[in-house]
Amino acid sequence: MRTRRRTFAALVLLAGIGIPGCATVHPWDRDLMAKPTMRFVPVPHEMAVDDHIYFSKEGSTGGMDAAGGGCGCN
Amino acid sequence: MRVQLASPSPASSVRQRLGAAACLLLAGSMPAAAQTPLAPGWQLETSGLFYGEQLRAKVIEPTGRLTRQFANGRALSLGLAVDAITGASPTGGLPTGQVQTTTSSSGRSSTTTADAVPTHPFQDLRYAADLGWTEPLGSLVSASTSAHFSQEKDYASIGGGLKTSVDVLNRLVTLTVGGGYNHDRVFPTGGTAVGLSPDTTPRVPGDNPKQVRTGLVGISRVVSRRWLLGATGSQTRETGYLTDPYKIISLTDPATQLPVAQVTEKRPSERLRDDVLASSVYHFEQDIFYANYRYYWDDWGVRSHTLDMKVRHDISSESWVQPHVRLYAQSPASFFVFGLTQGQPLPEFASADERLGPLRTATFGATYGFRVPGHRGEFTLRGEYMYQWLVGRPPTAIAPSTNTPGDNLRGSIAAEGDDSGGGQHLGTNIGTILIGYTVPF
Repeated sequence: MRTRRRTFAALVLLAGIGIPGCATVHPWDRDLMAKPTMRFVPVPHEMAVDDHIYFSKEGSTGGMDAAGGGCGCN
Repeated sequence: MRVQLASPSPASSVRQRLGAAACLLLAGSMPAAAQTPLAPGWQLETSGLFYGEQLRAKVIEPTGRLTRQFANGRALSLGLAVDAITGASPTGGLPTGQVQTTTSSSGRSSTTTADAVPTHPFQDLRYAADLGWTEPLGSLVSASTSAHFSQEKDYASIGGGLKTSVDVLNRLVTLTVGGGYNHDRVFPTGGTAVGLSPDTTPRVPGDNPKQVRTGLVGISRVVSRRWLLGATGSQTRETGYLTDPYKIISLTDPATQLPVAQVTEKRPSERLRDDVLASSVYHFEQDIFYANYRYYWDDWGVRSHTLDMKVRHDISSESWVQPHVRLYAQSPASFFVFGLTQGQPLPEFASADERLGPLRTATFGATYGFRVPGHRGEFTLRGEYMYQWLVGRPPTAIAPSTNTPGDNLRGSIAAEGDDSGGGQHLGTNIGTILIGYTVPF
């Protein structure tokens, strides 16, 4: 039951972000979004290293990389 | 005190601690609305990681990635990595209060001080390669696929993934769906230990299969000119051999609480792991603030919270600095124990692996990036300090006794460490240096 509640909360979070609000962002207002630094992973090779370290040192996984395995780190 | 380790080689334990980057089955899976594709051409990314734990493992990991971006949006990517690992790894045993010498069947031995967590020396070398292809399907849909392979002396992995993204609502929102499958093989040096058995029990030769299936859904949204928001949920099902073949559990005397023997660990053969990640990128007038929060849960009882924050500040047009803070806390797996009481019935599953315990991690660091005038490439230099500790780890084997017959040490010790501060935080100091170089050509 707890797992179902967590799954439901996760789905609500996913859906909530996608619900369009009143404001829109016109194409000519996306100058900042076009910068290569405006992304969730600003330095890709750092993410690879960090996932490597944390996946092997902690009991959790998932998130930015959604690691499907590939090493026996856990 | 002389102890014969359960395993002749803890190499897999090393790998489990310091595995490899091929875990990036679906690397970059977080959707990113309104992202500008790379300009057509080649790009080379290289990095070198120097990782060191105080009195434990040391790792050197060079990596390289070559990407060919085509004008029509297609992209081909090849990544290579090598891990060279040496040092020492915790056995899972309790501190004994005495000087302890540990010997493997190969004859290598190590000496542990009275209050130190027992460890064993090791070394390993791992090779990994991955290949990825991105194919645009019209102007709003993109599909990508990837495959990877890795090999080390007692572990091999092969797998692949598929991911599709679609831009909707005038490209303000990007939806992503993906999945992956890995088939791994575990072949411990000297054979596979029988779970929860004395280390004198004969080992079983041969391979142990392990399957990993992952699915994810994600969404990202341009909230305003300055703000990008995203969320990803993923589920991973692991089946097969999930036990660490080299970890042991101390058996303590019920009267003295001193470790007097040890058994191998044993974990369930299935694990269902879920997580949800919320991400935000906000562009201030000059600086950019990155924040991520992840909640994780699995059917082994592990729950975790992760908060990760970065701020990028441009020093000049040619250089920038990016401080980083990360905080992590997890609850222990339902079968995690610091030790078991000798003479009591053994549980169905048990592990003293600290990664399944009440673990905390704090990370602080910063990246400095710069370009050399007249040169297209960018250099990055990052230094980080990481402190990791178990809440309630007994300072020695003389720990509070449990009142329930057949119970283990977990509950009382963890409670003391959490509430009264009686447990000692025998943490691990870790330092990393990462050098990177990225150049288009």
